[in-house]
Amino acid sequence: MCQIGSGVSKMALRELSSLEKFLGLKKPNKYSTQGGKKVPVLQNNNGPSLIGLVTIASHLVREAKRPELLGDSAERRAVVQQWLEHRVTRLDNCSKEEVKVILKDLNQYLEDKVYLAGNVFTLADILMYYGIHHIVVELAVQEKERYLNITRWFDHIQHYPGIRHHLPPVVVLRNRVYPSGHY
Amino acid sequence: MTKDNVQGAGEEEQQAQSKKALKKQQKEAEKAAKKAEKQAKLAAEQQEADEDDFAKDRYGICPMVQSQQKLDRALVRVQDLTPEKAEQQIWVRARIHTSRAKGKQCFLVLRHQQFTVQALLAVGDRASKQMVKFAANLTKESIIDVEAVVKKVEQKIESCSQQDVELHVERIFVISQSEARLPLQLEDAVRPEGEGDEEGRATVNQDTRLDNRVIDLRTTTSQAIFRLQSGVCQLFRDTLINKGFVEIQTPKIISAASEGGANVFTVSYFKTSAYLAQSPQLYKQMCICADFDKVFCVGPVFRAEDSNTHRHLTEFVGLDIEMAFNYHYHEVIDSITDTMVQIFKGLRDRFQTEIQMVNKQYPSEPFKFLEPTLRLEYKEAVAMLKAAGVEMGDEEDLSTPNEKLLGRLVKDKYDTDFYVLDKYPLAVRPFYTMPDPNNPKYSNSYDMFMRGEEILSGAQRVHDAQLLTERAMHHGIDLEKIKAYIDSFRYGAPPHAGGGIGLERVTMLYLGLHNVRQTSMFPRDPKRLTP
Repeated sequence: MCQIGSGVSKMALRELSSLEKFLGLKKPNKYSTQGGKKVPVLQNNNGPSLIGLVTIASHLVREAKRPELLGDSAERRAVVQQWLEHRVTRLDNCSKEEVKVILKDLNQYLEDKVYLAGNVFTLADILMYYGIHHIVVELAVQEKERYLNITRWFDHIQHYPGIRHHLPPVVVLRNRVYPSGHY
Repeated sequence: MTKDNVQGAGEEEQQAQSKKALKKQQKEAEKAAKKAEKQAKLAAEQQEADEDDFAKDRYGICPMVQSQQKLDRALVRVQDLTPEKAEQQIWVRARIHTSRAKGKQCFLVLRHQQFTVQALLAVGDRASKQMVKFAANLTKESIIDVEAVVKKVEQKIESCSQQDVELHVERIFVISQSEARLPLQLEDAVRPEGEGDEEGRATVNQDTRLDNRVIDLRTTTSQAIFRLQSGVCQLFRDTLINKGFVEIQTPKIISAASEGGANVFTVSYFKTSAYLAQSPQLYKQMCICADFDKVFCVGPVFRAEDSNTHRHLTEFVGLDIEMAFNYHYHEVIDSITDTMVQIFKGLRDRFQTEIQMVNKQYPSEPFKFLEPTLRLEYKEAVAMLKAAGVEMGDEEDLSTPNEKLLGRLVKDKYDTDFYVLDKYPLAVRPFYTMPDPNNPKYSNSYDMFMRGEEILSGAQRVHDAQLLTERAMHHGIDLEKIKAYIDSFRYGAPPHAGGGIGLERVTMLYLGLHNVRQTSMFPRDPKRLTP
């Protein structure tokens, strides 16, 4: 079951509408929220309603006939699912102290990757970008340099055609201004 | 439980106690007896030993030097012990840095200031067993006089500054004995942070160092820092005097605060109160009005700000400059930046040994500067910060993090650690700052930065009594209290500008250190008034 922290709950619906635009879905869906944590709910005409950010997002991807965004092999599908779960369980509920650990781990993970699932763009990149935006926007120049790989990946995704929509762009310096290893 | 019972229990306890006490007493008496016996035995042994010690005139504890005699003895400095002195018999006065006894030999490392040399005592025809034992038992940091022969060594002694020679000791006398337990070990105090963590070795934290500052100042790092700091002062004086400046002395007990009343120390002054000067600002300006043209002043400055940061002190040494100019205040900026450049060059050329010594403990990149010095306008700086994603208003003051970031951006773009930021917004500067004739929101004021931190704040001053009064009123300053200051501009005052530099900050930032207390010999901050 997906859970969304109340601080970012407002964003979840805007996030889904941005995703719809990216996927090129003509007819915008209507969403409601449920419970204290404001979990997004999608009323489905053909069946029971869908609940939760990742569930709805995956549904939209299938509806747009872009299944490759969920991974084109069994292995990649697993990796995408892993990051989608990471987004809603770790990132959305994390405390201030945990932020550093999450950034450090993600930075290390992205050291040899262009996208979260390796060398192809997936839904994981979109949802991780939406979810981590409020953290990256607050980072000082020095911190953005410390998490160099996150910054590179983030800058890449925010410039990926049709993704950014509701979010303000984050300034990223192209050259390092702090001496390496001097933090 | 009844009262009796309680008493009974109490008595029992007392008895038990007295029994215990008795036993203890007995034991102690036995101990004392044993000790006395041992001491007597030792004394007897000592006497016996003394009697057949052939070298007993060659070592010992000197009577206190009360200037009884003028010995015709030349003492060679440790730093002068080089292979050229090989085979010479010389006298040295030094501290015992370390000592290590090994059977019939005793190795000492002798230290004078930041220089060290190895000395060796071996049982033989010049030294007896007792003499070696005496040397081995000397406490660290004691001051000794040593007569020795300088010998070349085959293998370099890596642990000493004098690597090519060692001393073969023939006489050794204690001039001043140190207590056995030192509050901190010198080796621990010079260990680079992080190093020695694996070996479980200690580093000394800053407060412990400052509490025992006299010992901490003996370390090679401290010796180098304060020798370099003296160099900063000397280069500052020499450069300015060459430029035709006059050194002035100003009072530090003053009647009115110069830059806002909040952060001044109040002292009771007979029946009234006075303040400790925050800067010699008003006085150096009055000297300009008195036709001294170019003045500077080196002296203490007081700030009662309750800020406990790495770069604030409540008392520091200010290097202040004030200078009359002809038509444009950039004449003064050029003069000050040239002075700073002369200081940087002088340090680079004459204090390389000291810089390297500090670098050993606190590594940093060499200080970089441009000639002529880079001058940026405040607007440009704000634009650079905005381009880096910082949100700030055009006339907002620079916060400390933004100041540092700007320093990094400037370093990246221009490759300099020293630059001038010109044309600050008028609103963030003191009342005597001259407004910019082209844009009343800005002013003819400037800050200078080293490694992204402010070291100097300066401006063209208002030299017109009328405008000065207006500006003071705008800032809500009591005109009565600064009457003498304003009046000094009524009888013809030349246009002038100047600035004040913090000596400790310059030293800290030149060396790339991280705390201003490291470059203040006896730092004063809101929490420290001693030593």
